[in-house]
Amino acid sequence: MKAFLLAFGVGLLLAGASGAQAYHRFWARCNYDAPTFMTTMTRDAGQDYSNAARYEGYQWGGGCWNYDDVDSYPYDPPGDASTHGEGGDCSGLTFKTWRESTDQWRDGRYYWRALRNVHGPYTAGGFKSGQGAPNHTVNKSTAGVMDAFASETHIGMVFFRSLYGGDQIVEAKCEACGTNIFYRTYRSDPSYGGVGRWGWTG
Amino acid sequence: MRRPSIRSLAGGAAGIAAGVIGGISLTSLSAAGEPALGSRIGVEGSHLPPALTLPGEPVRLRYAIVCRPHDDGEPCDGSGEVYVRAGQSGSFKRLALTRGADSRDGRYFVDLPSAIAGSEQGFSYYAVLRDDSTGATVTVPSGGPAAPQRSLPLRPATQIDLGLHSFGRTREPDVRPVTAPWGSGVGQAGLAGSRELGFVGPSAFDVVAGQVTLLDQVNRRVERWARGRVEPVPVSVTGGIADVAVEPDGSLDVLEPPDRLTAAPVLRSFRPGGSLRWSQHLADRTWAKLVVGPHGPVVQQQPSEQWRPVAENGRSLGRAAQAARGVMGRPLMNGLALVVERRGAAEIRIAEIVGNAVVRGWRIAGATPLGEVQLAEPLGNRIVLVAKTYSEDRSEDIVLVLDRTGIVQTFSVDPHEWAESAPLARFRLDGSSLYQLGSAPSGAFVDRFDLEVQR
Repeated sequence: MKAFLLAFGVGLLLAGASGAQAYHRFWARCNYDAPTFMTTMTRDAGQDYSNAARYEGYQWGGGCWNYDDVDSYPYDPPGDASTHGEGGDCSGLTFKTWRESTDQWRDGRYYWRALRNVHGPYTAGGFKSGQGAPNHTVNKSTAGVMDAFASETHIGMVFFRSLYGGDQIVEAKCEACGTNIFYRTYRSDPSYGGVGRWGWTG
Repeated sequence: MRRPSIRSLAGGAAGIAAGVIGGISLTSLSAAGEPALGSRIGVEGSHLPPALTLPGEPVRLRYAIVCRPHDDGEPCDGSGEVYVRAGQSGSFKRLALTRGADSRDGRYFVDLPSAIAGSEQGFSYYAVLRDDSTGATVTVPSGGPAAPQRSLPLRPATQIDLGLHSFGRTREPDVRPVTAPWGSGVGQAGLAGSRELGFVGPSAFDVVAGQVTLLDQVNRRVERWARGRVEPVPVSVTGGIADVAVEPDGSLDVLEPPDRLTAAPVLRSFRPGGSLRWSQHLADRTWAKLVVGPHGPVVQQQPSEQWRPVAENGRSLGRAAQAARGVMGRPLMNGLALVVERRGAAEIRIAEIVGNAVVRGWRIAGATPLGEVQLAEPLGNRIVLVAKTYSEDRSEDIVLVLDRTGIVQTFSVDPHEWAESAPLARFRLDGSSLYQLGSAPSGAFVDRFDLEVQR
C-alpha cells in the first residue's frame, strides 16, 4: 500500500508535467455541442460576438475561447495547430461570427457559443474567393459593418468605418497580436478582396 | 537495500497509472467549469462623426452599441441619447436615439434639427449609450462635454474633381536615401512572418532635417540614416506593428498596438540614445496615426475619432487627461489644425481651422474609390495631401499639393506594399520633400519625391 501511495503521488506529478498535457491544454475546456439553428442574424450581434473574443488570444486552426479576457496560452509557437491554445484564428473567428455551417453547401445560421471548439472548413483564401454557400464577394468600397476583407493569408471583419478612410477591423491577427480591433487599410490593399455573408437580418 | 517484491512493483505501477489518470481527470474537471467573466468587455460604442458638413446637408448621427454577447444570439438591447448644441459652446440639448431596423452603419440614430445641423458655427455633441440588460453606460467620445465631437461647416471650400483615375502612370522617386536588405545586420531591416501568415517589415519611419529614422521593430531597434551612413539604436519595443515619430529634441515616440499580454495600446517615449523615458496607455482601444504636435505626441484614436495628446511638454498624460483634451483637427506647429474626413466611397473633405473656425477648405471627389488619407500637412501656404485610390485589384497613392485655387501639383506613386507596415505610416513630409516607406521581396527602402518649391 505504501508503494502504491508513493507511486500515486509520482503519477499526479507526472500528470501535471507538460508532456502528459500536450494535447489536453485549453481545448480540454472546450465542448462539441451542436450549434443552435437561428432564424435571425444581425450585424450588431456579430459585433457583440467578435468584440467579446478580444483578449482571448489566437490559435492557428483554432476556434474555442472563454470570456475571461485573458489569453490562457500566450506563448504558443506560431503556425502550429497542435498546440491547442485559446482563441480562434482569423478564419475561425470569422466562421463563428458569421454563424456558418461546417457543411459548405448549407447557408443557414448556426450559433456557435464561444467554448464550442470549431474552426469551420474555410481558409482565408477560401473566404476571399467567396467559397461556400453562405459567402460571396463584395465590392470593397461598399463593404460595411461585419463584411470582411480577405487575402490568401488573412481575413478580418469590419467593426466600423473610420474618419481617415481606413477601417476598424476585428481580427485574430497572429499569435503575438492575439484577437483585437486594429486600424487597418485592407480596403485599399490589392492583395485583399471584399467578402460578405448572405442572410443578415438586420 | 532490499530487493523489491513483485507485489510492491505491481503496486507501484498501479499507483503511477492511477495517479496520472487521476491527475488528468482532476485537471480537466477543474478546467471544465466556466471561468469568471473578465471585466474588460463591457458596453461600448462606435460612431463615424460628420466632421465637415456642407450647407443644407441633412445630418443623421449613427451609433453602434456593442455589449457582451447574449446567450440567445440576439443583439444588444440598447438605448441612448445624444447631447447636442448649435455652435461650439453653451448648454447641450438632449435628443433620444431611435433604434433602427438595420445595423450596417450603426443601428441607433438621430436626425439633427436643421437649426442645429445648419448652424453657421457648426455643432458639437456627445452621446451616452446604454446596455439596457445591465444598465451599464458608455460616453462617446469619452471626454463627454469637456471634449465633445465638433462638426464644422465646410465653407469656404475649393471644389476639386479628380475624375476617373488612370492607373499605371506613376512617378519615379528623385532619390532612394534608404535601401535596407532583409536581415538583422547594420543597414538591414528585419522581416517577420511567413508565406502562410504574411510578412511584416519595418512598420514606420520618420524624417527630420533629411535624417531618416526607420523603426526596425522586428530587430527591436531604430536605424538612423543620413548621408549614406546608418546608426542602429536599440529600443525596448514588443515587435508589434507600431508607428514612430521623432520629436524636435531627438526623442523617439513609438506607438505600439495591444497584444496578447497588453490590453490597451501603449506609447513609449525613448531618449535619443534609446533608453526608455516613460510609457503611457492610450485612452482609446485603437489608434490610426501618431504625429508630433506643438506640445508633444498626438494620436488619432478610435472610437473617439479624435486627435488626443499623450504627453505635453515632455510629461505623459493619464487616460482621463488625454480624453479631456481630444479635438477633431490635427494640431499643427503653426497653431492651426487640419480636419480630415474621407466620406462615402470617393470623397475627401479637408479644412484648415483656427480655433473652431474654418480658414480654408477643400472638397475633393473622384470617380475612382478613395481609400485612406495617408498624409495631410501644410507646406508653406499650401497643403500636401496623400491618399490612396483603388479598384478591386489595383491601388496607387495620389499626391496633391493644394492651395486656395485648387491643385498646384499632382502625381501618383506606386504603393510598394510587399510587407505590412503601420496603417498610416507610409509617408512623411520633411521640408519640401515627400518620403515614402516601401518594401519588396529583397528588402525595405525609403524613396524621396521633391515637390515643386513654393514661390
